[in-house]
Amino acid sequence: MAASGSGSSRADNGYSSQQPRRRKGPGALATAYLVIYNVVMTAGWLVIAVGLVRAYLAKGSYHSLYYSIEKPLKFFQTGALLEVGIVVFRIVPSSVVLTAFQVMSRVFLTWAVTHSVKEVQTEDSVLLFVVAWTITEIIRYSFYTFSLLNHLPYLIKWARYTMFIVLYPMGVSGELLTIYAALPFVRQSGLYSISLPNKYNFSFDYYTFLILVMISYIPIFPQLYFHMLHQRRKVLSHAEEQKKSE
Amino acid sequence: VEPNATVREIRSMFHKLYPRWYPARQSIKLDPKGKSLRDEEILQHLPVGTTATLYFKDLGPQIGWTTVFLIEYTGPLFIYFLFYFRMPFVYGLDERFTSSPHPVVNLACICHSFHYIKRLIETVFVHRFSHGTMPLRNIVKNCLYYWGFAAWLAYYINHPLYTPPSYGKKQINFAVIMFLLCEAGNFSIHVALSDLRRNGSKTRKIPYPTKNPFTWLFFFVSCPNYTYEVGTWISFTIMTQCVPVGLFTLLCFIQMTIWAKDKHCTYLREFKDYPSLRMPIIPFLL
Repeated sequence: MAASGSGSSRADNGYSSQQPRRRKGPGALATAYLVIYNVVMTAGWLVIAVGLVRAYLAKGSYHSLYYSIEKPLKFFQTGALLEVGIVVFRIVPSSVVLTAFQVMSRVFLTWAVTHSVKEVQTEDSVLLFVVAWTITEIIRYSFYTFSLLNHLPYLIKWARYTMFIVLYPMGVSGELLTIYAALPFVRQSGLYSISLPNKYNFSFDYYTFLILVMISYIPIFPQLYFHMLHQRRKVLSHAEEQKKSE
Repeated sequence: VEPNATVREIRSMFHKLYPRWYPARQSIKLDPKGKSLRDEEILQHLPVGTTATLYFKDLGPQIGWTTVFLIEYTGPLFIYFLFYFRMPFVYGLDERFTSSPHPVVNLACICHSFHYIKRLIETVFVHRFSHGTMPLRNIVKNCLYYWGFAAWLAYYINHPLYTPPSYGKKQINFAVIMFLLCEAGNFSIHVALSDLRRNGSKTRKIPYPTKNPFTWLFFFVSCPNYTYEVGTWISFTIMTQCVPVGLFTLLCFIQMTIWAKDKHCTYLREFKDYPSLRMPIIPFLL
């Protein structure tokens, strides 16, 4: 879902080095940790990308490629939970709520939908969002890595703030289609649902919950998308001025 | 403006010039990034020269705390009744206006209603607020929270398929006793805090334990009213053995811990001789 959103505020506050900041940046130890984290994540998503390409070449078709990258996808997407910790411990000045929300939505899709409802794993919509996530994350994590090392190539900055225009809707479509595909199987198996009566006096219908999740995309996605467009105008026009003044 | 004018007088003068911005809505500061000045401050005691520059900020439409509390608390009271009396649109037409075979459901209704009636009484007669108003949009947020949760937990407690607590009467009786003790404690603390401001002043004072045993929690905790409040909701959870009530209790606990920590920090900042044994909300722990 919100692939690049969390990064945008991080990027502006932490890493667009030209703006003077009242707070000091992360200390040496924190910077080292962040660099290692971002390098590992970049590498991880590259592994997924390579895995996808190899599987495609081997199989000759783009169907059911999920199985070839299932494990690294789960590992590295879940690893992104560390980013919530990074923001909570204020190593990076970003919104905890925004970051947590985005990571949770990714983890939710990976585990609670794709992993849990085995029947959707062969759907093409899964490939759609996996590809979108992979490209987005490779760009995003390399962006952070280079920013931390203060050697950010303009190409990466441009890619980070431009590719989302296509990748975002692509990812969202893949996610929504996958959830939609999962619905009948959830209804049939009563997955993650509990009904009355029970001694906890609680009920939960996962089917309805998934529908609510899908509906929630309607207000949330445009907000994040336009936020990124706004950031794009700010960051790229700023960079233009920098280049002109150099 | 006279040198001995108070900020309150400045605010009403400003209001006459700009009728749209009534005094409660004005934030007057000496520095654009600074804190808002209090009403009682006198102009010549402030760090200004012969001319003073004051900055105005519009706080948006305001609503009185008393009004907010009254609306917030009346909602859950009546919403619970919709579920207790099983209005037709809640559980379907077949179950309309039926009543539960379990006594604990009646008890839960009594306790829940008692809790909110007590809160309403305290709002009108006991509480003395330091700020008169809060921003208007808070009331939407707060009402959604209180009313929403009241509906959610009332739905399950009064449901035809409700299951009474696993340990039966023992569990319920224990919960009732705990409930009453915590409500009494909470009330005692509110009265004690209110007495600190008996003369109508709005300044903060350190609360101390009184002859009332319930206030002895002040030895250990800065905000025993929150401690007792969490206790009330824990007892209600035990009484009903209902997960939504438990979730509500958890959220209340988190919110009150945040408020208690804030209050505790404010006390520590303002009073050098603040008792060091006290923790914000849970004795010795939190």
